[in-house]
Amino acid sequence: MNGVLPTTIIVAGLALAGYALLETARNRRMGATLLGALGVLEILLLVLVGMIVARLVGGHHPADLAVLIGYLIGIPLIPVAAAFWGALERSRWGPAVAAVAGLVAAVLMVRLHQIWPVIHV
Amino acid sequence: MSEPMAPSESSASQPTSTRTGPGRLLVAIYGLFALAASSRAAVQIATKFHHAPVAYVLSAFAGVVYIIATVTLTAGSRTARRICVVSCSVEFVGVLAVGTWSVLDPASFPDATVWSDYGIGYGFVPLVLPVFGLLWLRYWARRDRTGSSAPLT
Repeated sequence: MNGVLPTTIIVAGLALAGYALLETARNRRMGATLLGALGVLEILLLVLVGMIVARLVGGHHPADLAVLIGYLIGIPLIPVAAAFWGALERSRWGPAVAAVAGLVAAVLMVRLHQIWPVIHV
Repeated sequence: MSEPMAPSESSASQPTSTRTGPGRLLVAIYGLFALAASSRAAVQIATKFHHAPVAYVLSAFAGVVYIIATVTLTAGSRTARRICVVSCSVEFVGVLAVGTWSVLDPASFPDATVWSDYGIGYGFVPLVLPVFGLLWLRYWARRDRTGSSAPLT
């Protein structure tokens, strides 16, 4: 497994967070651009989860399999939860929630690598 | 493109509950930590409790504190807010106590907790989160007392 996808997710997550914080600073509420960006992040994360599951099915697994499975379940929930929770908010704090999702997605790529080093960053 | 807010919804309007406005962000972060700390502790206690019992029990305790904060901030009633003040205070004391303990006696912590080294593994978010939680609850307590809304940026 090469590091292209996790690295792309880190860059996308940080870019999303930067843009979302800019929107918070500009006193904007959640808009179509941020929702679209969360959608793209969701797709990238789902592809990554699929690739990791394929590798698990292929017979390889990390020492801490239970933790990895927990991450695989939790990771795709992040952009979805942020999109719903942020879109409910009719103030600048909606984009702030999206910023958290972007940062968390980036950080989780590093955590995934720590749990299973074959997932390169 | 994000829609600019209509004038009536700009900073002039006040949050209507503890889960809206800045509370939206607080609930999101508390919810994230509730999920992360409690599921991590559950896995660790179930699979390798004897490796680092102190760390795992403290992680589970932190998870419970985060769940209480998430639920009470979301509910937002007067009673819920009172419970939340207690849990955020316990959380703040917990971060400081466990942080200090882990620095002075690293042997007790072969595996890290959320609060080890004052939450350094989580970008010190665990250290600042209870402070913002308590500030947010103080804002609501003042609103109760004055019957009107204090200015909020």
